[in-house]
Amino acid sequence: MNLPALVLQLLLLLLLAPLVSGVIKNWKAKLQNRRGPRPWQVYFDLAKFLRKDMVISEHASWVFSFAPYVVFLTALLTGLMVPMVHTPAPLSLYGGVLAVVGLLALGRFFLALGGLDPASAFGGMGSSREMTLSAIAEPALMLAIFTVAITAKSTDLSQIALSTQSATGKLLNPAHVLAFAAMFVVLLAETGRIPVDNPATHLELTMIHEAMLLEYSGRHLAFMEWGASIKQLVLMTLFLNVFFPVGLAGPGAGAGALGLSLLAFLAKLLALSAAVVVVETTNAKLRLFRAPDLLSAAFVLATLALLSTFLFH
Amino acid sequence: MNPSAATEISSQAITLMATLMLLVQLLMTAQRMLLTSIRLFAIQSLLLAGIAALVAYHHNASHVYVVAGLTLIGKVIFLPWLLNRLVHRIQIHQEIEPLLNAPTSMLICGGLTLLGYVLARPFTSMERLGNNTLGIALTLLLTGFFLMINRRKALTQVLALLTVENGVMLAAVALTSYGMPLVVELGIFFDVLVAVMVLGILVYRIRESFASMDTSKLNQLKG
Repeated sequence: MNLPALVLQLLLLLLLAPLVSGVIKNWKAKLQNRRGPRPWQVYFDLAKFLRKDMVISEHASWVFSFAPYVVFLTALLTGLMVPMVHTPAPLSLYGGVLAVVGLLALGRFFLALGGLDPASAFGGMGSSREMTLSAIAEPALMLAIFTVAITAKSTDLSQIALSTQSATGKLLNPAHVLAFAAMFVVLLAETGRIPVDNPATHLELTMIHEAMLLEYSGRHLAFMEWGASIKQLVLMTLFLNVFFPVGLAGPGAGAGALGLSLLAFLAKLLALSAAVVVVETTNAKLRLFRAPDLLSAAFVLATLALLSTFLFH
Repeated sequence: MNPSAATEISSQAITLMATLMLLVQLLMTAQRMLLTSIRLFAIQSLLLAGIAALVAYHHNASHVYVVAGLTLIGKVIFLPWLLNRLVHRIQIHQEIEPLLNAPTSMLICGGLTLLGYVLARPFTSMERLGNNTLGIALTLLLTGFFLMINRRKALTQVLALLTVENGVMLAAVALTSYGMPLVVELGIFFDVLVAVMVLGILVYRIRESFASMDTSKLNQLKG
């Protein structure tokens, strides 16, 4: 394992994730003719949460205090398995697609438990909603990644990125287009973006992710929020580097190539954030009972993508 | 660029655009807002015009350019405009609950896509430009029919008919490698144009006399 690469990616994950959330928030405000918080405001929020005292319900068990760390660490570990600025990813020897999806599911499981544990009405509601939606979003995510994995003949994400990269000059093939569309919907759902969940509201009738965090405060809240933004960055990276690994530095690249790769990655990340901002601004939030429609559409698209890898040959 | 590389690239571009057409069709199945459905149809027709233009460029078939141009003018600009005006005139913007709900109809469309691919399989071994598009054309045909059966508003049924027509055009362009004879294309094109205009008037009349666009009400006696 390559230690500098590990440290670089760890730093990127920890420091870039809040900035991405901040940039999306800022751009969204700009697009809606508001001034909006500065992009780096999220750092100050996190620092403040870390300094504050925690209020923990007397009915809460150890699960409540344990959950934020699990959420944070699973997001971080997943991030180290996804190639970000160079292949192979630092922890790629320890797991591929399945490990990534599994770790994300573990984090989500503890997030839902943390919502349920203090026995507040909203927390339970949020957990139940999260589980309902992720029951459809998760298979769609897996099928979409499997589509690419079958083309690359490997479930190792670095291998997948390399094989997509070696196919440059070719356009996306039909299977990839369908998987791409499915994955974008899943990305919106998993990061709690607008057609499915609204990240900017604490309105009890509509919230999903926020409802589970209601009882958290202080350091726990900081880890929850930080973990959520890291998870968002990881999913965006997964999306970008699986479908568009343009500029991704190969194994044994020098410092110059790494810098170039980093720049390409940041550019792609900003473009994807812009797309998310546009979708969030131009769409209204779906009624909760309509959200499964959207996600099952993503599921069908991913299934078709998987089928057409076998049929188009 | 050598000719085989050019063929490779345009073949891929055609398959890509055809897949996008399929994607738009699937979105239309899940969509209930009439104006958005019309917009989706316009996008689908734009992709079809793009495919026709690519085929025309590749085979130096100047009459396919005419087809592309007609598609662009007729189906991307004129028909959506006409239908938009109709929607504004009858003041109904949303489709009522279709017979089958969105997830079920998506699943059925998935099955139909599979059927389309399987049916097209024996033909796709032929070495032609964008040969994979036949499966998609068949799928557009099948899902178009399904959309027509599943929806109750006359306007959406008209849209479904138009997507079926898009499927036929795609098959014509993809399968015959330089399109059908111009006369046939023109015939189909004006047929559809006139059909939609007539249907538009019909939709308006249905709305006037039944105070609804729900075609399932047409089998009731009017006293």
